[in-house]
Amino acid sequence: MKASLIHGGHRLLLCLGPGGVGKTTTASALGLRAALEGRAVDVMTIDPAPRLLDALHVDCAISDPQEVVLDDLRVAATGRMRALKLDPKHTFDRVINRYAPTAAVAGAILENRLYREISGALAGVGDYMAMEKLLELYDDAETSLIVLDTPPAREALDFLGAPERLLDLLNSRATTLLGGGLKLSDLAARAVLSAFDRVTGLHLLGDVHAFVRSFEGMYQGFAERAARARSILYGPECLVLVITTPEELRVEETAGFIRSLQQAGIAIDGLVVNRVAPPMPPKSSLHKIKPPALRKKLERNWRDFAALKQRESAALRSLKEMIPAEAAMLVAPDLGREPRSLADLAEIAGMIDTPDLRRR
Amino acid sequence: MTWPRLSFVIGKGGAGKSTVSAALAAHLAGKRPTIHVELDQRGSAARILGVRAPERAPVKAGERLELVSLSPRRELERFIRRIVPLRVISDRMLESRTFSYVTAALPGLEAFLLLSRLSVMAGEAARDDTYVVVDGLSTGASLELLAVAGGVKNLAAAGTLNRLAADLEGFIADANRCGVAIVVTPHELALKETIEAAARLREQLNVSRVFAILNAVPAPLFTGPEAEQAMEASVEHAALVRRRLELEAASQRVRKELKACGIPVMELPMLFSENVGNREIARLIRSLRDKVAA
Repeated sequence: MKASLIHGGHRLLLCLGPGGVGKTTTASALGLRAALEGRAVDVMTIDPAPRLLDALHVDCAISDPQEVVLDDLRVAATGRMRALKLDPKHTFDRVINRYAPTAAVAGAILENRLYREISGALAGVGDYMAMEKLLELYDDAETSLIVLDTPPAREALDFLGAPERLLDLLNSRATTLLGGGLKLSDLAARAVLSAFDRVTGLHLLGDVHAFVRSFEGMYQGFAERAARARSILYGPECLVLVITTPEELRVEETAGFIRSLQQAGIAIDGLVVNRVAPPMPPKSSLHKIKPPALRKKLERNWRDFAALKQRESAALRSLKEMIPAEAAMLVAPDLGREPRSLADLAEIAGMIDTPDLRRR
Repeated sequence: MTWPRLSFVIGKGGAGKSTVSAALAAHLAGKRPTIHVELDQRGSAARILGVRAPERAPVKAGERLELVSLSPRRELERFIRRIVPLRVISDRMLESRTFSYVTAALPGLEAFLLLSRLSVMAGEAARDDTYVVVDGLSTGASLELLAVAGGVKNLAAAGTLNRLAADLEGFIADANRCGVAIVVTPHELALKETIEAAARLREQLNVSRVFAILNAVPAPLFTGPEAEQAMEASVEHAALVRRRLELEAASQRVRKELKACGIPVMELPMLFSENVGNREIARLIRSLRDKVAA
């Protein structure tokens, strides 16, 4: 693996990518690799059902980082790994309690129906809250590297835009919308909302109004935090990695994702291709095998997997062509089984490497 | 088994939802007119079937097969245009950023409108004896989408919306109009997710037709003794034999556990091929032939 990915001056590895590529596994393996090489690592996942963390004996109900016991592994002296699962609702409640000017305001927000819906259900809130948690972890001087496993691709861009959106949502325009703005579009939005309220009997307008109003006094605190999160995410201490798998259908998706990151002003530092199959043994070594019936089956087996390997190699080549020249490409192995233990994770961590694209 | 008029093809990322849904739609279209609905704007099914990706207008992918792309955002636009008669105002409003925050804050409005649209399509399919196959939702996202009916019903205790929500709940529970097919690969994690999702779909969301499509099942190759013999005969190829056996064993396990949970299972073969093109899709369609009655 490129040493710089572990030992560079950065403090944050931001792992982005589509769903189902093993992002949590890859992010954890990268974190473990860094820990084994001596860094004090915190891995934060946003995966709502991180079974991998269960396997590492991390209690997902606790929203603070917990030590992963690495006793059986060879860890450099300064190395350690902690892990946590983000609980957006819990973090949101904490944020409200921290910034609300009075306990009454905090109570009003926590009781607001919109707030309850938003904090419980909407994906975007997870983004804001990941930001908050990130800042908390960042301020812990003992942690030298934070590995952040983000939500799947579509929301990952939202994730990076979360500080701005939070500010936008809370800035005065949102308040004028509900308080009596002059813009035609705002007035129309109000008209639709009240029409919607009439049809539905939901009283959303009142709820939105109360919600935005109650945030007024908290704007300053949020603004500062959001600005700081932004400066970290776009700053030199953050490495941006995109995680994907070597599948034909993923190539276009990954390309589109990287393009939209570039449009948002984010250059990727590396692409990690997960679940790359081991190299194929030579077919010629089957010649001597007897009986012929067995040889035929072994040849068939070889052909089957060779076809899959070719499909994979083509995808790897396309992925390689797609990333900017200065970005690194790494591959993480397919173990042939699902990683379900620290030992599995350590095996992956040890094998993360640059790909040999010449091999077929 | 007879197929529901509208089927959601859901599953973990990478399980093969798009491939399976494309094959399923093409199979159904062999019998009756079929619409393939994509919800993620990725154009995957179009790519697999070798046609242009649908945008605002549908795309023909065969004599009786049409590809359609729906998005929650577009459904919201349709809704706004319906209740705001002046185009100039509705346009300005949809462009307003502030408005997009407010709609983002409206719990599940976009999802609700999308689900309403799908239920209308299912009703039309039942009336016209056609089919709708919906692709593009991960398991989690589809659970959220289907749960929105109940959520809205609780939120709006009375009125139009409450009635609409109750209708949607009826649609979801109707075995003729609505079914959910969970695509699952022979992997432990995918299996657990499938079992949990099936339980939620049946028990909490009252979906009556829930089944699993076990995708990428390798054809059996080695018998037990043969495998041992093979691994002894060639050290170099032993790992490859083991991979085969592990795939087979995993398929067995998944099949068994799904059956133990009372989830009907359909199987599709693993495609050991250099690419997934027309020939491979044709193979999947063939293997659906004796499993799905249209």
